[in-house]
Amino acid sequence: MAINYAYTVELQRVVKRYNEILAVDNVDLTLKPGEIFGLLGPNGSGKSTTLKMLMGLIQPDSGAIRVLGMNVQEDPVAVKQLVGYAPESPRLYEFLTGIEYLDFVGDVYGVPTTEKKNRINEYLKALQLEGREGDMISSYSEGMKQKIALISAFLHKPKLLILDEPLTALDPRSARIVKDFLHELKMQGVTTIMSTHVLEIAQALCDRIGIMYQGRLLALGDMKELRQMSKLPDSGLEDIFLKLTGTDDLRAVVEELVK
Amino acid sequence: MNWKNVLSLIRVERKSGRLIRGQRRTRYRENSFLAYWPYWVALILGLAIGLLAGVVSNFALAAGSITSAPLQQGVLSFFLSLPTLVLIYSLVFTMMQQIQRSGVRASIQVPYWLPITWQEHTLGSILASLFGFPLASVVFITSVIAVFSVFTGQILPAVLTSLAVCAAAFMASATTEVFRILQVRFIGAVYKSTGRAAVWVRFVGSLMFFIVFYVVYFYVTSGSGAITFIQTIASAQTAAWFIPFVWLGMTLFFFTGGLLLYGFVFLVLSLLFILGLFFLATQLNTRFGLYEPPAITVSRGIYAPRAGFLGRLGFSTIEAALIRKDLRAFTRRRELMSIFIAPIIIIILPLMQSLGAANAPVTQQFSIYSIALTFLLPASIMAMSLGNFVVGEEGQAVWRIYSSPISAKNLVKSKYFFIIFFSLVVLAITGTIGLVMYHPSLRAAILAPFEAIFLVFALGSISLSNGIAGADFTETPRPRMIRQTASLLNLGACALAGLAILAPFIPYVLSTTLSAIIPGSAMGSLLDPSQAAIISAIIAVVLTVVFYRINLKKAKELLRKAET
Repeated sequence: MAINYAYTVELQRVVKRYNEILAVDNVDLTLKPGEIFGLLGPNGSGKSTTLKMLMGLIQPDSGAIRVLGMNVQEDPVAVKQLVGYAPESPRLYEFLTGIEYLDFVGDVYGVPTTEKKNRINEYLKALQLEGREGDMISSYSEGMKQKIALISAFLHKPKLLILDEPLTALDPRSARIVKDFLHELKMQGVTTIMSTHVLEIAQALCDRIGIMYQGRLLALGDMKELRQMSKLPDSGLEDIFLKLTGTDDLRAVVEELVK
Repeated sequence: MNWKNVLSLIRVERKSGRLIRGQRRTRYRENSFLAYWPYWVALILGLAIGLLAGVVSNFALAAGSITSAPLQQGVLSFFLSLPTLVLIYSLVFTMMQQIQRSGVRASIQVPYWLPITWQEHTLGSILASLFGFPLASVVFITSVIAVFSVFTGQILPAVLTSLAVCAAAFMASATTEVFRILQVRFIGAVYKSTGRAAVWVRFVGSLMFFIVFYVVYFYVTSGSGAITFIQTIASAQTAAWFIPFVWLGMTLFFFTGGLLLYGFVFLVLSLLFILGLFFLATQLNTRFGLYEPPAITVSRGIYAPRAGFLGRLGFSTIEAALIRKDLRAFTRRRELMSIFIAPIIIIILPLMQSLGAANAPVTQQFSIYSIALTFLLPASIMAMSLGNFVVGEEGQAVWRIYSSPISAKNLVKSKYFFIIFFSLVVLAITGTIGLVMYHPSLRAAILAPFEAIFLVFALGSISLSNGIAGADFTETPRPRMIRQTASLLNLGACALAGLAILAPFIPYVLSTTLSAIIPGSAMGSLLDPSQAAIISAIIAVVLTVVFYRINLKKAKELLRKAET
């Protein structure tokens, strides 16, 4: 079923509250097809909650979420079919081998057998997991598990990728491959929304960046727009981030720690 | 040794046993009274039972139905058996707890990165293993004997017994700690050397371990076995004086018999043995304590998609993938293997009893008890257990289900098939054993499997609904899989449903039983067994269909809420 949509992701006045904590506060956001969007923010700022709401893994208290032109609440299965998701510190089925896990994911997304086989082999080779794919995941390092999680997000050629800290624990070679791959996917019209704490990656990779703080989307735009907003014309993302989140005055903190 | 570190470790371990399921609580403070409720309950129950036993024995003495000397002698011999009894009981329990832990979690590896010595870590681990049932048992036993001894005037033996019981529990836990480290080290080595066969080595090995311990557990804790066991301990531990595990009992034996020197010698020996165990556990922890999971290679390189047998049975690719994944989970995850134990134990225990009673006349009559034992019970228990656990076993990896295009129908269909498939395999095995062992009549041989199938379908459906609604995805320190309340609810619901399904047979069973007991008393049964089977089938179908629909609703809710 082909659905026409102008935006891959649409969040309208989305609110999520955990008891007295306001995790996401009136967030509005739209992403276009083929866009790589970076979601930044300090720990506990609401990034992961926002990404999980996009996947339908958490229900918003109010507001509307449309993904690929569909309402996540109304047809979650259809949305998930077109989305690839890799959570932060993914827990995998550790009793399966790497290849069994990917086989399972491929089947769940209905990837045809020959295609599944070819894609899995290509990804395993690219991310240097060849030779370990028959081992149980319980013996994998964190980086290897992250690679398996990323492959399982890419395997069914999704239209939208939701990646929570995707490059954490990856070796430099694999991280570079993933970054270049995301660029290639962008050319094919795949939208990526990723959260990261590595600001250099966000600056280099993302078309637009959103900075969340205490549940609110403080700033949104490309680097030029962010520089204007923060009134730091020649600065990098780190300075902009610290200024916008009001955490730029770090000297006193460091001095206190040194004491 | 920094005792604050030990206490902190125990506190962490104790709290990890009461994790709050999937709830984001803020400013959480634990109610310290409620946190210790099993021990309060054990204490109150122990005091009440001690009081009751004391009052009853005093009445019996006053009425002259027993005399003081034999009573005191009986009580004393009971006291003497308690340390060894508690030791065996705690050993079995802590070992079973240990094997059900979900691998090795970070909390076990704190000496990696915290300034905690291996001594502190080992002591913390030993004491933490005692929390829960073993400690509650110790509290219960000591409070019973403390109160009861006031009535019989045996306060000093009771105090000594209480101390010995505490030491016995510690001894058991220290032994378990030694075992834990050894199994981490040596099982890892076995897996590495067995290569691809490691999965099956683990499956069979874990199953054997469970069976041995459960057989001992049920023998020690159930009915006449327990009484025989206590009598055996009381009389046999003096003959087995060279086994260190009975030294605590020996200490009591000599002290209460007035042989103070011998008592002192065995006391010193017991303390040295406990210290030795602790030293050994510490040394082993230092050497092998930091666990590296062995890399079990199941296949090499070649990608081999499975033939779509399940597809030919009418399952979609998603459902087949889920079924295959669950099949691997239940044959590879050690903590899930315990599910296979109940049906095996149900068959083994009566077999052992009948072997033990070799001199008794062997009856070939296929009794109702035998039908229940071989056909109905194992398969029903399997359906109930699988239904309870098959959703919660996903654990924290459940995000994979939530984030994949899996519908409620896919989930329920695959999980339900899995329950039915395994339960029917169990039925086939235990039914064959029943046919060989008890030679049932042709009618019973035909009707019993059908009844078992009705039960499996209905109880599987009911249990799955509880398994979905009560799924508990917490994994540390061991996978919960289902909340206790849901599990209890399931037990009640399945008992009622089972009774309803078998109800049409009740008049027939009563009539047959009465006529066997009182010849010529046969009352006319309302229903012929084949008519009863038809009504039973209708009840089972209705229950299955109704609960299957409930399952679909609950699964939809589960996927919508996506609660971990």
